[in-house]
Amino acid sequence: MPVIPPEFDANPIWQLDQAKLIAILKDSGSSTFQKAIACKRLAQIGNKESVAPLAALLSENRLGHYARFGLEPNPDPSVDEALRNAVPKLKGRLLMGVIHSIGVRKDAKAVDALGKLMYDQDVEIAQAASASLGTIGGPQAGRLLRDGLNRTKIPVLPVVARATLVCAEGLMRANRAQALELYTTLSGPSMPKVVRLAAYRVLNAAASRSAG
Amino acid sequence: MKKETGSISRRGFGKSVAGAGALAAAPMIVPSSVLGQAVNQAGQPVGQPGVVAPSDRIIVGGIGLRNRGQQDLAAALADPRVQFVGIADIRESARETIKSIVDKRYGNSNCVIYRDDAELLAREDIEAVMIATSDRWHACMAVWAAQSGKDIYCEKPAAITIAEAFALAENVRRYGVVYQAGCQRRNVPNFELAVGLARSGKLGKLLAVHADDWSRTLTPLGHSWWPEERPEPEPLVLDWDKWLGPCPWRPYNARYPDGGRSQFWDFHAGILEWASHTGDICQWAADCDHTHAIEYDPQPGTSHVNCAYANGVKLIFRGDGWGDSGTCRVRFEGTEGWIETGDSGKIEMSDNLRKYHQTVTMRGTDPSRHIQNWLDCIRSRSLPRANAESTCNAHVTSHCAYIACQLGRKVTWDPAKRAFVNDEEANRMRSRAYREPWRLDSLATNM
Repeated sequence: MPVIPPEFDANPIWQLDQAKLIAILKDSGSSTFQKAIACKRLAQIGNKESVAPLAALLSENRLGHYARFGLEPNPDPSVDEALRNAVPKLKGRLLMGVIHSIGVRKDAKAVDALGKLMYDQDVEIAQAASASLGTIGGPQAGRLLRDGLNRTKIPVLPVVARATLVCAEGLMRANRAQALELYTTLSGPSMPKVVRLAAYRVLNAAASRSAG
Repeated sequence: MKKETGSISRRGFGKSVAGAGALAAAPMIVPSSVLGQAVNQAGQPVGQPGVVAPSDRIIVGGIGLRNRGQQDLAAALADPRVQFVGIADIRESARETIKSIVDKRYGNSNCVIYRDDAELLAREDIEAVMIATSDRWHACMAVWAAQSGKDIYCEKPAAITIAEAFALAENVRRYGVVYQAGCQRRNVPNFELAVGLARSGKLGKLLAVHADDWSRTLTPLGHSWWPEERPEPEPLVLDWDKWLGPCPWRPYNARYPDGGRSQFWDFHAGILEWASHTGDICQWAADCDHTHAIEYDPQPGTSHVNCAYANGVKLIFRGDGWGDSGTCRVRFEGTEGWIETGDSGKIEMSDNLRKYHQTVTMRGTDPSRHIQNWLDCIRSRSLPRANAESTCNAHVTSHCAYIACQLGRKVTWDPAKRAFVNDEEANRMRSRAYREPWRLDSLATNM
């Protein structure tokens, strides 16, 4: 085992309880390393109390991802609210990260806001919002993505198309008619070839099942 | 996130087009070097000898082919069906090395180099990719390749979290591509024999399967420290941000890219270093390619994790080693007999099974037959031995065992819900948040 510099040793931080970890996050004298490890530990043990202190780091370049690392697996619903509230305050990569986490958490309350971001001037934000819409899924996300197939262009369109595939897949269980409609749209000539082929496969399988 | 075709830089697009042009021009004359028969690491011929017309070749690109990746590449280049046309790597030295190997093989200078994998994946002429980046990139890169419609050979571990394993399998299925994980022991004769005897009932009712593993002590507790910060190299030499990829940011130190990454939890999958092989073989033997073990019980004071499948077969991950059949050992026990083997090729078995014994000289690390199987399946559009679904399921089992090790207690897994039963702490360990701008694309299910 190598010699670990004490200022970069995670062990003492890992042993702390939630209150002390939160204190590290709030202390302006804490190092980036200390805050990073506190975020990682809170991913495992953090509850509602840790949400606001972690969310306060979402706008920090080096720590924004660590904050999401701590927030994303926390099942408390206040995490979703904190991530939604962060969206209008962030831009660039940090905003992308928050949008991705919203998608991972499948926050249905964020669908309409993501639908607007699908047309953001920042192409990477538009792509992130599209992908998260697909992951969240559901009828409303399906409607927004279908509009996006008509209104977006390369390089956002391929991401919207892939997201629509994901959304359609989720809808096949609960809303088969809407799902098949989305697959039909995705099989159109203006869609990326790989998405078209994927949609064809599902439509062919569905047709075979109906015929059988 | 992956870059879309439309966002490729002018420089990148030019390189891609130049590569495609070179490819179109080059095969008019077939170099004699591509007419030979494929051989394995022992120099023994494998596969079909003969000439493959250029138009019938599988156009292959590579991403991150260092060390193990070069062994995979050698096996692919030895197959006359393969035309390798481009390499992407974040390291300048690795890019140049692979280009040199490939160009020497074909007797030309046509192998195109890319710093950005997105440029390689955007090439429509490339049908298949070989991925041998470091572990943290495997699943993400394979998902991008699937979304680009490429067939995939990807080194193991295929995924460093449970969520990645499911995302991988879903995307491969969704896009209908052929995926082979680098779990090559599924195509090594001594392992095939052992699995065949277990699955055909020659051991009687199968009771237990044993999987050699390693690195179980790797936890975020002791392996999240940061070595001293050093100046980052020039991005053209080594792109540090891309090297980190979806993992948490940390200051640069040459210790990570120069071989020390496996000492850090952020970049590694713990027991899956070997369990992605041995757990995979055991799951195959237990006829559980379609599911996961449901109970995981780390044994205090030992290096064993006792697991159980719903069909009653026990799976024991063992970090203590046993026998003398080399690394990555497996052992299968039934009511009527037992068999064990490992990378050396040596096979030991109960006396009643001696008539099935074979002498195997192929080492467990040899990827040649596994690459052949992948190429066969690309041609036939059938499932390779280490396909995405079986790989996903074996990885989920191994990850569950690793999580039980890290928690130091028994956990129960529900394969249908893709979740641990009444265990929030364990459930939180199923995934790790990706660092922006990367994301784990397109997971339609609840996990």
